[in-house]
Amino acid sequence: MSAFEPFEQFDEVEDIVDRLDDPDPGTRRVAVMDLADSADPSAVTYLKKALGDEAREVRLQVALALAEFDGPETADALVVAVVDEDAGVAQAAADSMAELKDPAAADPILPFVTHESAFVRAASLRALRELKRTESLKPALDAFSDEDATVRSEAISVVGYLKTEDALPALMSMLKDVEPAVRRTAAGALGFSVTTAAAEALAQSLTDSDWQVREIAAETLCKVQSTVAAPALRAALTDEYWQVRQKSIRSLGKLGVAEAVPEIIPSLDHDISNLRKEAAAALGEIEAPEAVPALEAHLDDPDPDVRKNIRWALGRIRSE
Amino acid sequence: MDEITEGTSQVDCDILVIGGGTAGPMAAYKAKKKNPDAKVILLEKANVKRSGAISMGMDGLNNAVIPGHSTPEQYVKEITVANDGIVDQAAVLKYAENCYEIIQELDNFGIRFQKDENGDFDVKKVHHIGTYVLPMPNGDTVKKALYRQLKRARLLISNRYMATRLLTGKDGRIAGAIAVNTRNAEFLVVRAKAVILCMGAAGRLGLPTSGYLYGTYENAANSGDGYAMAYHAGAGLANLECFQINPLIKDYNGPACAYVAGPFGGYTANNEGMRFIECDYWSGQMMQEFYNELQSGKGPVFLKLNHLADETISEIETILHEVERPTRGRFQVNRHNDYRHGMIEMHISEIGFCSGHSASGVYVDDNACTTVPGLYAAGDMASVPHNYMLGAFTNGAVAGEHAVDFVNEVDFADIDEDFIAAEKKRVLAPTLRDDGIPPNQIEYKTRRLVNDYLQPPKVTRKMQLAQDRFAETREAMENEMAVTNAHELMRSLEVASIMDCADMAAFASLFRTESRWGLYHNRADYPERDNENWFCHSILSKDDAGQMTIRKKEVDPYVIPIDEDEKDAYDKQRIKAQA
Amino acid sequence: MPLAQQSSSVPVVVDDDKCIADKGCTVCVDVCPLDVLRISDQTGKAFMKYDECWYCMPCEADCPTGAVSVHIPFLLR
Ligand SMILES: Cc1cc2nc3c(=O)[nH]c(=O)nc-3n(C[C@H](O)[C@H](O)[C@H](O)COP(=O)(O)OP(=O)(O)OC[C@H]3O[C@@H](n4cnc5c(N)ncnc54)[C@H](O)[C@@H]3O)c2cc1C
Ligand code: SF4
Ligand code: SF4
Repeated sequence: MSAFEPFEQFDEVEDIVDRLDDPDPGTRRVAVMDLADSADPSAVTYLKKALGDEAREVRLQVALALAEFDGPETADALVVAVVDEDAGVAQAAADSMAELKDPAAADPILPFVTHESAFVRAASLRALRELKRTESLKPALDAFSDEDATVRSEAISVVGYLKTEDALPALMSMLKDVEPAVRRTAAGALGFSVTTAAAEALAQSLTDSDWQVREIAAETLCKVQSTVAAPALRAALTDEYWQVRQKSIRSLGKLGVAEAVPEIIPSLDHDISNLRKEAAAALGEIEAPEAVPALEAHLDDPDPDVRKNIRWALGRIRSE
Repeated sequence: MDEITEGTSQVDCDILVIGGGTAGPMAAYKAKKKNPDAKVILLEKANVKRSGAISMGMDGLNNAVIPGHSTPEQYVKEITVANDGIVDQAAVLKYAENCYEIIQELDNFGIRFQKDENGDFDVKKVHHIGTYVLPMPNGDTVKKALYRQLKRARLLISNRYMATRLLTGKDGRIAGAIAVNTRNAEFLVVRAKAVILCMGAAGRLGLPTSGYLYGTYENAANSGDGYAMAYHAGAGLANLECFQINPLIKDYNGPACAYVAGPFGGYTANNEGMRFIECDYWSGQMMQEFYNELQSGKGPVFLKLNHLADETISEIETILHEVERPTRGRFQVNRHNDYRHGMIEMHISEIGFCSGHSASGVYVDDNACTTVPGLYAAGDMASVPHNYMLGAFTNGAVAGEHAVDFVNEVDFADIDEDFIAAEKKRVLAPTLRDDGIPPNQIEYKTRRLVNDYLQPPKVTRKMQLAQDRFAETREAMENEMAVTNAHELMRSLEVASIMDCADMAAFASLFRTESRWGLYHNRADYPERDNENWFCHSILSKDDAGQMTIRKKEVDPYVIPIDEDEKDAYDKQRIKAQA
Repeated sequence: MPLAQQSSSVPVVVDDDKCIADKGCTVCVDVCPLDVLRISDQTGKAFMKYDECWYCMPCEADCPTGAVSVHIPFLLR
């Protein structure tokens, strides 16, 4: 038996760092990769130092390498990389920052929420989202009036993740943002609330000029669990986008809105089978006896998924 | 480069985990977490960094049981029915009860699941009854995140070692394993008190229609070594006749994938652009319907997205072309395909063994124990049906945690030096021939024969012919196969596993004289399901005389009873339209 | 039985100008699940030695310099 150990060697950090001073940038880059592989938290100090390297590819590798580590020291290095003059380095740092999981990593990042560069502000907010620190609430709310749309979207996500009712009025106001993408994020972020105020705000978004905002609003309304939006959802059944109608039907079904039955029934005849399928399911959810004749008339729908839902719906209504 | 060098080393450990794809890393990690003093080795044929089915991430979790969306009871029923009742429910229930905790743990590892704007898991409804699909549109870093945890836990990882045989003690208990380095052919003998097999599906059994040996549905490194090793160690293998066959993009041979496109409104359609699948849960029945449509005048089958909005299609494209099988996008570009316009032609995969998608695996109980004491199995190669990625993670964890307690109670089993010598001789035989047949030719022929004779619909006489042809090819493999370097040696060892799996596939399929599991075990000359005689598992194993044998095993009494009308609920939904 | 040598067009291509294997990088060789890439003794750069590829892409995704391109193997293109 030999003393041979057939295992992956995780190089000692001290053995790697000498190579960070090598004249050849390629060699320095490989040293950075080895530091990442070491999984040894003591590597972070050296990585941070290597962010001063003159070669862009070395700094890029450092920004990538930092994704392997977590905690405040790592965040401390990443905020240096995220303001790098090279866009590629900064982007890699932003992506690595979003990988952080340790809530303590938020501290070095928080001051960057007001950085002069919109890119840095957005990257900081994106990183803060998963860290779910209450200290992020105030700066994120402040960023709701940022001039940059991406920043506003990221800020809404931070607030949405914190799920505090206090922030509802601010979130609702973002449903009026000029950018559709921002309004979409805001509509989704209201899903945690079970208040009528949130439902009313989302109901208004059902007439938004952007169909995807309308779709998300319709979808989110079934989470909010309030029937105040029922009239607006019913009105949305004439939306020009079948996708919006589909989500509205789903929410009406989940909310058990019996009044909507006559308005849902025509969708059983639509060309798009996804819509017919949803209509059948919703009629079953609502358990509406008056839907029986319409459902029976479609028992031979050419689409098997629709047939399945019709049978399921009829079974449910009849077992009542 | 890749020269064959002589040499053997030996190491001892408490737990040896073989296969560092999905289940393996979790098994090793959990064992080490539970007892940091335990010596745990993770042995991998490739490199744990990017090995296994999940090397580039996954489109999503197919079977997440998350409170508020589905219940363990519901899931167990669903799996029982999808599997035509042949299920030992205890293991399925345990999975269903544990998997949410594992999702949360994976989330903490930094594995990215889709979340809504409130940070909650964004579970999607795809199936008719339960809601189980959790997308992972940015899941390409799953292995990186896992590997990071393994490094932090300072696990012992042996990359580029291919396990070839298990060692058992005189008392029949597990004693360890033998492995060969894939770059220099040196041997590694590992003595272990417990061994956990996580070597994935037998994915190189059938030949893809392209004829390219490595263009398989499964990660092509998964050549069925785990199945072969378990067999030679005397373990029982369950329901091997329940083949894996999957729907996929024709020629590309990777998933399309229904679970991605489904929540967005995409679906599988026939040439008329119509849905045709009646069956709800992914199952052999569903594959039978797929097959029927392919063979019919309404064939072939397509993935249909062109009714969706542009914005939606772009979103689907990003997922399909960046995670899981990211070369999908390149394939479509070569073919001038655009999801916005035409539909994408689909087909069915070659056959294989896999419990992840079907139910063919090394028999395990609800603690992941095989029939050999101290030997565990988890993931695609273990018999818990329809397990997918989350099942591999969860049951890997179950195995690791059970094994770490088990090793406290036992000492090393004695190892048989004669067996080791014989195994080395077997492994090195092709290196001693100056010329002969290279492994790729033997592999091609074996897999071509698998396609010709074992692909369902299965016919008795054809399968008997297959057995004759396999025997002849095996003779060539044992007496004429020659290799020139260590890399080819690895391939030659894989061929031996493929040959064993082919033999097992024919043997198990001939045993069950009924049709069950839709296309998976469609026997043309026994077209009916026969519950009276075949409501049971089949357990294949190697007997004391070294012969292949197979027996029936009763299905364990259900923990979650299934009412007659619930069984019906599925059948009823399959009623054809009268039109 | 003598062996014939047959040519085969490989699906994975490495750009020698970008590859820094000569500086100690072995990433693509390390991550390939089929173990089909090697560093050439002659050029000091990575190359595909065996045409046994699952077109899975870790080699390309993990290469630090963007030197690797994965194509679909011809037989299934
Ligand atoms: C293309 C594809 C798409 C999929 N999509 C999904 C999806 O969207 N959602 C989902 O939930 N599931 C999906 N699955 C299923 C899921 O990926 C598998 O069920 C799961 O990853 C299996 O894990 P495993 O550990 O059993 O096998 P793997 O992860 O494949 O690991 C097996 C490992 O064993 C190693 N190995 C093999 N032989 C030896 C040997 N002799 N010695 C040492 N090591 C060896 C291999 O190199 C490999 O690393 C998909 C599978 C595939 C192939
Ligand atoms: S990963 Fe890229 S740079 Fe490194 S050896 Fe491979 S091709 Fe060269
Ligand atoms: S695509 Fe996959 S199998 Fe092919 S060379 Fe790259 S890593 Fe290896």
